[in-house]
Amino acid sequence: MIAARFVLGRLAGVLLVLLVVAAATYAIFYLLPADPARLSCGKPCTPENLQRAQQFLGLDAPWWGQLGQYLLGIVAGRTFGTGGGAIDCPAPCFGYSFQLSSTVTDLILQRLPVTASIAVGAAVLWFVSGVAGGTAAALRRGRLADRAIMTVAVAGVSAPAYLVGILGILLFGFALGWLPTGGYVPLTEDPLQWLLHLLLPWAALAFISAAVYARLTRAELLEQLSLDHIRTARAIGLSEPAVVVRHGLRNALIPVVTVFGLDLGLLLGGAVITEKVFSMQGLGSLLITSISSLDLQVVVGITQFSAFLVTAANLVVDLVYGVLDPRTVRR
Amino acid sequence: MRTRLPAVALIAVAALGLTACSSGAGEDSSTTLTILTPASTVPLDPASSQNLATTSLSLLDRRLTTWKVEEGKDAVVVPDLATTTGTQSDGGRTWTYTLKDGLKFSNGDPVTSEDVKYGIERSFSDQLTGGLSYHKTLLEGGSDYRGPFDGKQLSSIETPDDRTIVFRLNKAFGDWPWIASMPAFTPVLESNGAPATYAKAPITTGPYKVESIKDGTALTLTRNTHWSAKTDSVRTASADRVVFEEGQNQTTVVQNLLTGSGKYADAFGAQYLGAADLSAASRDAQGKQRLATSEAGPIQYLALNTKRGELKDVRVRQALNHAVDRRSYLLASGGSAAGIAATTLITPGIAGRQAYDLYPAGTSGDVTKAQQLLRQAGVSGLKLTMLLQNDSASLAQGQAVQQGLQRIGVAVTLKPEDAESFYVDAAADDKPFDLVLASWQPDFPSANANISPLFDSSQIGGGNYNLSQYDVPEVDRAIAAAQAETDQSAAQADWAAIDRRIMQDAPVVPLIYAKQSFLHGSGVGNFFIPSFPAYPDYMTLTVGK
Repeated sequence: MIAARFVLGRLAGVLLVLLVVAAATYAIFYLLPADPARLSCGKPCTPENLQRAQQFLGLDAPWWGQLGQYLLGIVAGRTFGTGGGAIDCPAPCFGYSFQLSSTVTDLILQRLPVTASIAVGAAVLWFVSGVAGGTAAALRRGRLADRAIMTVAVAGVSAPAYLVGILGILLFGFALGWLPTGGYVPLTEDPLQWLLHLLLPWAALAFISAAVYARLTRAELLEQLSLDHIRTARAIGLSEPAVVVRHGLRNALIPVVTVFGLDLGLLLGGAVITEKVFSMQGLGSLLITSISSLDLQVVVGITQFSAFLVTAANLVVDLVYGVLDPRTVRR
Repeated sequence: MRTRLPAVALIAVAALGLTACSSGAGEDSSTTLTILTPASTVPLDPASSQNLATTSLSLLDRRLTTWKVEEGKDAVVVPDLATTTGTQSDGGRTWTYTLKDGLKFSNGDPVTSEDVKYGIERSFSDQLTGGLSYHKTLLEGGSDYRGPFDGKQLSSIETPDDRTIVFRLNKAFGDWPWIASMPAFTPVLESNGAPATYAKAPITTGPYKVESIKDGTALTLTRNTHWSAKTDSVRTASADRVVFEEGQNQTTVVQNLLTGSGKYADAFGAQYLGAADLSAASRDAQGKQRLATSEAGPIQYLALNTKRGELKDVRVRQALNHAVDRRSYLLASGGSAAGIAATTLITPGIAGRQAYDLYPAGTSGDVTKAQQLLRQAGVSGLKLTMLLQNDSASLAQGQAVQQGLQRIGVAVTLKPEDAESFYVDAAADDKPFDLVLASWQPDFPSANANISPLFDSSQIGGGNYNLSQYDVPEVDRAIAAAQAETDQSAAQADWAAIDRRIMQDAPVVPLIYAKQSFLHGSGVGNFFIPSFPAYPDYMTLTVGK
């Protein structure tokens, strides 16, 4: 009962956040000095054609009017134009891109597998190596292993993603010729090539992000291991692995899981730099292209999707808290 | 990290064996051309396309006319689907074309004049805007027409029979043969023409048809067996398949083409090289052979706002023309590989261009002459603002201009803006700045396309490109007369005279004609970059020798 109310309350929160994000995106685009209608006006552009383009794209309405149209479209669907050439966007319609001749929903579904492949693989890699590294460092605090791991971690935290990516391509792609230099092969088409194309992006992202997790895990675990109940656990004769994993790590992981959930949610919304460096066309590069071509509907769609993922990840994290630490739900 | 590395190596070794196998299996006589593009999609609808006649869409589509470009020669307009480049009557207001015999779509249907008409009509609909639109302002009744999807036709395009098509224009226009080479003049079958679905499965008339579209990854074309080389005097269609690899990182493209193994031997990059990639390629022994550079290209110029402050005075504008330091501008752009000094408005590669220099400035400016003109105008302590794009290349170029003008006591403040707002602000009705650092590549190889968009008074503001707000009735009349001239050589002489006439008023400072360089693999032949259009000619390059 309490848990159900907790989940429902959080879901309402998610909807509110999505609404605010949509309103903000429309408002920001409306305030921009750029005019998307000019891009679809053609070359040369006559004043009459510019006005027609503005009307057709609904850009002559104020931003809240456009937002209203958008929200209505999600519930009722939209039709652009009339007669034989009309373009239908059935409900739930999250917009239509005239530049890419596709509904935004289709575009997102088309690009999601790329981004998801990058994000999930990289996340598993960095979580496992980050937590393992952090734990190892904490258990050998002050010794050579600790210093070595933390040095690598500092390098990882400080390295810009594009630099790590390019160096990886140069070394493993061009110099050694072991891995492809970029691109994406769908899992359904060729699983081995899918894996090979993803190894470098995964490694690059994991190298950068694992560092944060290693540092966080080390700090949290050290703090946990210095608490009274650990001393008690050791005193009653529990084995050292049981002490560290069940009583130390389990508590130390709570903040780590929070960060992980948010990072994963964010990454699923588009790994912008990684996608660009590795010539992969996921949500991140679609978002960047759409911003520079002022394709408002796609920008709103991806921002919404990304916001949804982050809020959903947040919700999942809160639920996982309950498992890691039942007190959080009872409170 | 350390434990993971051997695993990576192991899998990679396995992959090596595998790729070796697959490349062995692919050894047949068919050839595949790979085109590496940074774009995440290759847009396929001609109605909304701004493609040059010699690039991507030329592989799939044919128009009434097209361009023939050869190394070291000016581009010329030649018949494509039509038997001639157009027969004019009524003093250049009516143009008639006859389709060649035996033309077919990729599904086997014959190409008729109605299909050409329908293709043009589509470009008027609101769903398919954004393409080259010169024809929309020229065809009679075009401004009120809204496309064929409500069952309405454009009456100024007549199709008396299946092979004849007649255009009635609202004024005489001698360059109509060039207009008929634009993407909108591609025939489209009505059953295939719905705006939402055409680009997903276009039925084509060119040497290729679409095999598969994987947006964001690749577009693959195969031979259109209904295309006949006998009816096509331009396209050589050397490759059996063409693959556009999309969303390519430019640095990786350059490295792959320099290495040039596997599929990258029969490949080229669709994007011209930036300064850093260009210097990397020209330092590479292989790179020098695989680099193609144009002799000239788009004009980069400084637009002077003729409606503002001291710049209203022609002597001040002439002083800026004398003072400009083209050598340091060129250095800021990347040196001699980046361009050559510009003094005329018509760019090299356009037929009828005449070289001249009204404001001799040596290699790096004539400061004395410029100061003299400023004194005559009674101007001192001039302060100007310059709008330019906010990227490192433009900023370096802007600073070169700034330092050049500083020598005659003109203080320039740079106002960098990101691309999106730059274009809107530069083309706005009311321009709150004095100078714009701009660039122009004509849409078709006629001096008309160099001059009228930039200097006709009808092109001021509203998103158009007369950035100097240059408004001289005498020049407007001369432009109208030259546009109406149907005799090519007479028109060319007219344009050359207008070029000079405009520069007497000095509304711009021509800076350089920018060279464009492209890289190709060792298996790609007949790969050259003309001065116009400064892009590879997709129609005639060859692969696999």
